[in-house]
Amino acid sequence: MTDIAKLSGADIAPGAWIDSVQSAEFKILIDTKWRSIVPMIVIYVVGYMGLSVLAGFGRGILGVKVLGSVNLGFVLIAGNYVMSWVLAVVYARISANRLDPLVNVVVDKARAAGGP
Amino acid sequence: MHLITIAMFAAILLVSLGITAWAARRTRTTADFYAAGKGLTAAQNGLALSGDWCSAAAFLGFTGLTALYGMDGALYAVGPLVAFCTVLLLIAEPLRNIGTYTIGDVIMYRMRQPPALAAAIVGTIVINLAYLIPQMAGGGILIKLLFGIRYDVSVILVGCGMIIYVAAGGMLATSWVQIIKAVLMLGAGAIILLLALAGVGFDPLVLFASAEAKAGPNFLLPGNLLKNPFDEVSLGLGYMLGLAGLPHVMTRFYTVPDAVTARRSVIWVMFLAGAFFAGTTIFGLAAVHYLGPEALRVGNPGGNLTLPLLAQYLGGGKDTVGGQLMLGFVSAVAVATILAVVAGLTLATSGAVANDLYVNLFRKGKVEEHRQVLVARISAVLVGIVATLLGIMAEGVNVAVLVILAICIAASANFPVIVLSLFWRRFNTGGVVGGMALGLVSSVGLALIGPAFLGPNAIWPLVNPTVVALPLGILGAVFGSLLAGRDHEHEKRFGEVTFRIQTGLRSNQT
Repeated sequence: MTDIAKLSGADIAPGAWIDSVQSAEFKILIDTKWRSIVPMIVIYVVGYMGLSVLAGFGRGILGVKVLGSVNLGFVLIAGNYVMSWVLAVVYARISANRLDPLVNVVVDKARAAGGP
Repeated sequence: MHLITIAMFAAILLVSLGITAWAARRTRTTADFYAAGKGLTAAQNGLALSGDWCSAAAFLGFTGLTALYGMDGALYAVGPLVAFCTVLLLIAEPLRNIGTYTIGDVIMYRMRQPPALAAAIVGTIVINLAYLIPQMAGGGILIKLLFGIRYDVSVILVGCGMIIYVAAGGMLATSWVQIIKAVLMLGAGAIILLLALAGVGFDPLVLFASAEAKAGPNFLLPGNLLKNPFDEVSLGLGYMLGLAGLPHVMTRFYTVPDAVTARRSVIWVMFLAGAFFAGTTIFGLAAVHYLGPEALRVGNPGGNLTLPLLAQYLGGGKDTVGGQLMLGFVSAVAVATILAVVAGLTLATSGAVANDLYVNLFRKGKVEEHRQVLVARISAVLVGIVATLLGIMAEGVNVAVLVILAICIAASANFPVIVLSLFWRRFNTGGVVGGMALGLVSSVGLALIGPAFLGPNAIWPLVNPTVVALPLGILGAVFGSLLAGRDHEHEKRFGEVTFRIQTGLRSNQT
C-alpha cells in the first residue's frame, strides 16, 4: 500500500515470525507485561467503579462529612485523581525500566533471525 | 464585550488559518494527511489529545454541572481522566503498533475479511456523527449567544472552519489547532483557578462550605442530576471503557513515531487534561460562592455559561475592562475548543470513508497514493457538509446528553470489538459483526426510548444505557465468535498479531 512500514518498526522476513513468537524471550515479555498491568487494572476498576456504584447506591455513605463541608464522596473523587496519576507514573517507570528493554531483546533477536 | 471577544476570536482564527496554510504545503502523502507524517513528539501529541478530548461539554459543561448539581458535576469531571487508565494500560501502544490510520485498519489487520471491516466502518461513522452533531449544535448556540448571529449561520461558520482545517491541512493542521486550543484552555483554567482561590485566601475548604451554605445541605451529595442510581453506574462504565472506543481520539496515536512516544503522550494528557478536569470542580463551587445559585439559573441553560460568567466576575465584574477581557478570553477559547474537536471528528470520519470504505473495502487497497489523498480531502468536505446540515437540524438538542450517548455507543459497540481483536485468540469476523451490531442496536435503541429523547413519556428509565448495552455488546462479540465456528488458520495467525502488538515489528508480507 504505502511505505509507511519504514516509518514505524522494521520489516522482518515472513518465516521469522514463527520462531520469534515462540521464543523464550517473547514469552518472558508477555508474562512480565501482564503481571505488571493486571494489578493496576484491578486497582483502577475497583477504585473508580466503587465510587460510581456508591454514587448510585451509597449516597448516605458518600455524604459522611470528613473535613468541614467536604464529605467522603469528594475525598474519594480526589482519590481517583491521585490514583490515576500515580498509576500513570508507575506504569511509565515499569515500561521504561523493565518492558522496553525486554522488547528490545525480542526485536533484536527477530531481526537477527530473518530481518534486514 | 463584543469587540474584545471578536478581536480575540479573530486572532485565534487567523493563527489557525495560517497554520492550515503552512500544513497544507506539507501534506502530500496519506501518512501526512491522516497521521501528520507520524512525526509528533510526546508533548505535542499529549497537548493535542487534551485539545481533542476536552470538548465544550468538558470546558463549559463540567463547571456548569458542578455549579448546578454539586457532586454529580465532579463525578462527570473525574471519569474522563480515569478513562485514560484503560487507554494507557491496554490500548494506546497496541493500537500504535498494529494500525496505520484508522480503527478499521486494526480490525482489518486482525480479521482480513471484508464484513469485519464493514462493521468497523459503520461503528466509526455512527459514533463520530453522534459526537459531531451535538458539538455542531453547541458551537451554533455559543456563536449565536456571543455574536448575535442566527443559529443556522453560526453552524455553517463552524462547518466552514472545520472543512478548511481538515481538507486543506489534514492531521497536521488539526493537531496544531488542537495544541493551540489546549494551551489556551489550560492558560484560561490556570488564571481562573488562581483568581478564584485568591478570593478565599487559597483555602478551597471555604468554597465547599460556602457552596453548601448557599445552595442547600443536599448540594454536595450525589444524585442531584442523575436521579436513577443505575445512571451513575452507567456514567462510570461508559467513561471507563468508552474513550478507548472513540475513533477520533484513538487515531491520535498514529501521529507519533512509535509505541513509546504514544505511551508518553498519554502520560502528558493525563496530567494536563486531568488537572483541568479537577479545576472544573473548583470553578463550579467558586461560581456558587461568588455569584450565588440564583444568579446561575437565569439565562444559563444547562449551566454552559457558568464559566464565562465566573471569569467575568473574577476579572472585575460586568462593567470593567478586566471583566470584559476575561469574558472575551473564555468565550474565544470555547469557540476554539469546538473548532478543534469538530476538526478531529471530521478527520476521523473521513478516514473511515476514504481509507476504510473506498480504498480498502471497495478497491482492496489498489489506489495510487496521490489519489488516496485526493479522495480523503473530498470525503472530508462531504463529511463536513453532512455534519453541518445535521447540526442545523439538531437545534435545541441537549448537548451534554448526546455527548454522553456517543460515549455510551463507543463503550458498547467499539470497545469490546477493539479489545477482543487485540487480546482474544478465538475472536473472529463473526464476533466483530455480532458485537458491533448488538452494541449499536442496544445502545442507540435504548437511548431513543429513554428520557433523553422521550422525556417524561420514556419507556425505558435510564438516560445512559451503558450498564445494559455494554454487557450486550460483549455478549454479541463472544457469541458471534463462537457461532461463526473455529478457523484454525486464523487462530494460528494470532501469535503473529500478538508479536506485532507487543513489539511493533511487522512482517514484510503484510
